[in-house]
Amino acid sequence: MSQNTLAEDGERYSYFPGCTSHSTAVEYDLSTRAVLKAFGVELVEIEDWNCCGAAAVHSMNKLLSLCLPARNIAMAQKKDLELVVPCAGCFNMLKRTERALKTDPEMRREVESTIGFTYREDLKIRALIDMVVNGIGFGRIEEKVQKPLTGLKVACYYGCALVRHPKVTQLDDSENPQYLDTLISSLGATPVEWSFKTDCCGADLALTHGDVVVKLVNRIVEMAKEAGAECLVCSCGLCQINLEMRQDADTLGLPVFYFTELMGIALGLKGTQWWSKHLINPSTLLGSLNLQ
Amino acid sequence: MAKAEKKGKSQDVLVIGAGIAGMQSALLLAEAGFQIHLLDSSPAIGGYFPLLDKTFPTNSCGVCFMSPLPPAYCPIYESELHEKIKLMTSSQVSGIEGEPGAFRVSVTRKPTFVDPQKCSNCGACVEVCPVEVPHEFGGGLEKRKAIYLPFPQAIPRSYVIDPAACTRCGECLKVCSPGAIDLDMAEQRHTLAAGAVILGLGFEPFRAQLKGEYGFGRYDNVLSSIQYERVLSFSSPSRGMPMRGSDGRIPKKVAFIQCVGSRDPSCGQTHCSSICCMYAIKQAMITKERNAEAEIALFYMDIRPMGKDYERYYEKAKAEYGIDFRRSAVSAVKQLQQTKNLLVTYVTEEGSFREEEFDLIVLSVGFSVGDEVKDLARKIGVDLNEAHYCRTEEFTPTQTSRPGVYIAGTFREPRDIPETVVEGASAAAQAAILLTGVGKKGVPAKTYPEEGALGEGPPRIGVFFLSQEHPLADVVSAEELINHIQGLRDVVFTEEIPCKSPSEGFDRIKRRIGEKELNRLVVAGSSLRALRREFGEMARGIGFNPHVIEYANIWEGCGLVHPQGSPETLQKAKVLMEVAIERARRLEPLKQGSSAIAKSGLVVGAGIAGLTASLNLARQGYDVTLVEREDELGGNARHTWYTLKGSNPQVFLRELMEGVEEDPKIQVFRKAEVKHLEGYGGNYRTVISVDGQEKSLEHGVIILATGGKEVKPHEYLYGEDSRVVTQRELEGLIHSEDERIKGLNKVVMIQCVGSRDEEHPYCSRICCGHAVKNALKLKELRSDMDLFILYRDVRTYGLYEHSYSQARDKGVIFIRHDLDRKPQVISRDGGLCVSVVDPTIGAEVEIPVDLVVLSTGVEPHDNRRLAEVTGTELNLDGFFMEANPKSAPLDFVDRGKFFCGLCHSPNFIEDSIAQAQAASMRAAVLLSRGGIEHTAHVAYVNHRLCCGCGLCISACPYGARVMNEEIWKAEVMEDVCRGCSSCVIVCRNTASQQRNFEKATVMAMVDAAVT
Repeated sequence: MSQNTLAEDGERYSYFPGCTSHSTAVEYDLSTRAVLKAFGVELVEIEDWNCCGAAAVHSMNKLLSLCLPARNIAMAQKKDLELVVPCAGCFNMLKRTERALKTDPEMRREVESTIGFTYREDLKIRALIDMVVNGIGFGRIEEKVQKPLTGLKVACYYGCALVRHPKVTQLDDSENPQYLDTLISSLGATPVEWSFKTDCCGADLALTHGDVVVKLVNRIVEMAKEAGAECLVCSCGLCQINLEMRQDADTLGLPVFYFTELMGIALGLKGTQWWSKHLINPSTLLGSLNLQ
Repeated sequence: MAKAEKKGKSQDVLVIGAGIAGMQSALLLAEAGFQIHLLDSSPAIGGYFPLLDKTFPTNSCGVCFMSPLPPAYCPIYESELHEKIKLMTSSQVSGIEGEPGAFRVSVTRKPTFVDPQKCSNCGACVEVCPVEVPHEFGGGLEKRKAIYLPFPQAIPRSYVIDPAACTRCGECLKVCSPGAIDLDMAEQRHTLAAGAVILGLGFEPFRAQLKGEYGFGRYDNVLSSIQYERVLSFSSPSRGMPMRGSDGRIPKKVAFIQCVGSRDPSCGQTHCSSICCMYAIKQAMITKERNAEAEIALFYMDIRPMGKDYERYYEKAKAEYGIDFRRSAVSAVKQLQQTKNLLVTYVTEEGSFREEEFDLIVLSVGFSVGDEVKDLARKIGVDLNEAHYCRTEEFTPTQTSRPGVYIAGTFREPRDIPETVVEGASAAAQAAILLTGVGKKGVPAKTYPEEGALGEGPPRIGVFFLSQEHPLADVVSAEELINHIQGLRDVVFTEEIPCKSPSEGFDRIKRRIGEKELNRLVVAGSSLRALRREFGEMARGIGFNPHVIEYANIWEGCGLVHPQGSPETLQKAKVLMEVAIERARRLEPLKQGSSAIAKSGLVVGAGIAGLTASLNLARQGYDVTLVEREDELGGNARHTWYTLKGSNPQVFLRELMEGVEEDPKIQVFRKAEVKHLEGYGGNYRTVISVDGQEKSLEHGVIILATGGKEVKPHEYLYGEDSRVVTQRELEGLIHSEDERIKGLNKVVMIQCVGSRDEEHPYCSRICCGHAVKNALKLKELRSDMDLFILYRDVRTYGLYEHSYSQARDKGVIFIRHDLDRKPQVISRDGGLCVSVVDPTIGAEVEIPVDLVVLSTGVEPHDNRRLAEVTGTELNLDGFFMEANPKSAPLDFVDRGKFFCGLCHSPNFIEDSIAQAQAASMRAAVLLSRGGIEHTAHVAYVNHRLCCGCGLCISACPYGARVMNEEIWKAEVMEDVCRGCSSCVIVCRNTASQQRNFEKATVMAMVDAAVT
């Protein structure tokens, strides 16, 4: 299946929500399901999925860090569907495992015997943003926009997991990615030009070295503001919570959206108040542009 | 051989690629009498040469190289004007069949859609062309139209159409008054015969977009070095002022980032591009010269100025220009959106992470071989090496894998201009040797009719105005100019000659000379450069002295520099005409003397360079005398056992010596020295002493190849402790499988011993490679041996970089130190150890060792006496000094004297060989001439005014001035004088004058211009 296949009405995808979808990023999951439904895309959650192992595992135990995603791959390949992953962190872990399985025969044998499955190379693992951009396509999105996000200046934040390492993720331009920017434009908003799209937010260092994350996050948000943005948009549960929780809300105070949330508003979906869980309330910003 | 004339043989040479290397090969071979086809895929010749404004290490201005006035050195114009060179632009070779001496080459010429014969360069087409695209020239900073002039000084001087951009709207056709545009012009294919082929194929700059972290192509204030070279050129839109792309502001803080696309496996560019350090230093210095406020930082890994006089240039950049060199690794460049300033994040040598804001960033992009070049190599059956450069063997540096096909310049390895010029000449020598004996060779002397008694009697000036079709013709009309000058004194005839058909024009002028009894001519209109040669030939053909013709360059002086035209333009044209007429009135016919050439050469020094030069000169058909001071031939190569690239110099040396001894054209004298030399290029008389016996020689050229020697160390316990040896001594131990080598566990090598210090303030270039070579050899013997190389900068330039990487992969540890914190070698309790401060950990480390190896530098022999005897000069370091480091790197100022090898500068064997071959070619060009034509515009002395002060004698660079001691007046040796006018300038009494540029003449011209 080519990357550019259009998701026709009624098209189905396997879906790996990831742990944050049940907790800190539940709004990402909800908005994703709602938006895709609006395009007639059906998500089939894979059975009995488990944590992808993001955060600490890859620095502790290499085999485990491959086996956790591999088990999800094993579950997913039972269905003849492309696997869609909303969270950039999960996506990266799954892609790293895929690469190991494809390029390291010894490691593949070890992982296969640990999990008890035979890897089939044809399972396609896609980041949600890739599926939206290349599967649904800008044409269909623009057609469906009811309430253009006119006047909303957005800094698109990809983080490091989505596009790096380019040989692993094989997605967009790793130094100057465009998917989110183009998507945001097609929703009527204005993506700002800035240089910190792929800087690291500190990820799980939030748990062990909070001060590092504070430093990294403040730098990113300051630079978004310097570039003229009023908010950020991202595609990862951990990035979103780091960016909102660790920024100096008094001096900066830039809300951080999941891209699916902004899609929901632009498509004019009902019940889009997913961001009630956000730590920085975007209501004033959205209200000022009549986007509530 | 009688068989040489057999069918299919050709003496023509095809040169593919008309950049610096190709033009050098073409010009030398053309001068030696071969017919050249100079082919380039671009619409104009010159390669990257026209882009350069100033060149290192002299920072002399490259624009003057492009000056339209002879005798400025410009290979582009020389190539255009040489009657033996046929230019084939926009052309590609699709295949070469046949064998050396008889190749058949298939050539495809792409259409340019403009006929260069008809195009008058008026530029009307550009005005109306609606398509605008980035201009390749200068890296896309400027825009051009679909119809365009490749660059202002393009040769052939014609507009061309880019078919990829052209929309075929036809607007240009409507405005082209000469009807030069043909949108249906088709591709042409033809074959040509050539005896030899030279590849002067160039480089492709690294596409900086591939290193996305630097933001090239995204940020307006991040430029590639190619673009910045264009910005700094005086012909750029900013007229050479450094300028930011985002807002046109002059940048204050400028950063240069080195090794972008060099020494970087992440983008597949593993080699060192060799010249980026030097061009970046040059660009940094010029930036500072143009804007004294500028603060400049240069981020680098190792700084590599390893060419002749380059180390001084680097030191000057630090000390006099205050350029801040930062050894570091740059991880990212980010743009601030409000100011468009750039944030550079980098890690220093000590490992600290820093960030700094800059106004402008220049990326020093590396070079590689373009796909087009690789494709061509495949088509013509020339092998590439592992780094995708042209495969050559070390001891035949300009020979490709296909016999009869030679290589010069950056397709062989990244190269700077002097090396490229050397290789261009070396390749030319190989082609010349191949074709010597294939047919007739040498330049037949032309014969002209006897000159009449022209110039006698009062001047009768004929003024001919060559008119062109050009919009400016309305402003500067021929009619008006002719009216203006008609009444001027001594002007007896004026006529307008339409430029369309030059031969018809010539016929008319010839007729007029007879009819009107003209004895002086003024030719006005078109470019002097294009006219001078043709007119001179025409005049000589009818027995008219060419030195009584004066040219008024109206086209370039008015049309080119004031393209819009104005009443002042007409005024200027009138003045230029008056000036020319004033000079013409005073011109005297000059007789140009000539003398025969002694068709043989003298080579001094029988090391690899001298032996190679002798053999190459002999194989081009000239007798050679080779003198060697020692009893034995071979020089330094006798002590070299293997090279970094894996060849055996001993085998090569043996073959070379046999070749020299067997060649009947070479006479070798051992224990011989040059005692006395007099004469000039083409005719030297020399006295040599052979084993105490004096002997006289006559020869046309002399090549000095006196070599150099290893610096004897006087530090690091050398000579005191037997465990401290030099690299050469180590090489000897390894070669002789000495017992001491087997017991080694830990070895430390110390670099820059006798290099880059106060006593030897230059880089010896070869020692880093030498150390890496021996380290790899030791690792080969014992892979578990601990090896440390203590260095200042690792200068494994070009493809030697791969050996450096290999050494690191094999576990050789490199530790850096500074000149003021040199390592210490300590002998303690019978043990030996080396102590050094390792900057990466900021602490002193002590390494117990079994052997310390000193990488000693190269120094020249004491050449002072030889320089005095031969009338040549030495540079500050005692190496011989060239006439011009860029254009004539192996020539002395006197045109019959050349030099090569280690007496030129420290070099690897392969470069010495290339130099020796090149020197032989440059010498052979002089020897191939029918005779030495003396300069017409020589100096002379008015004895009545001469006070005998002798200033002219010391000022003359050619030794053409002497004192007549009987009357104590200065005199000129007319056969030696080159007409440079240095003596005229220094003479306090105006006693020294130059023919046809006498003071009275020049003053009359100035008067005509200002009154």
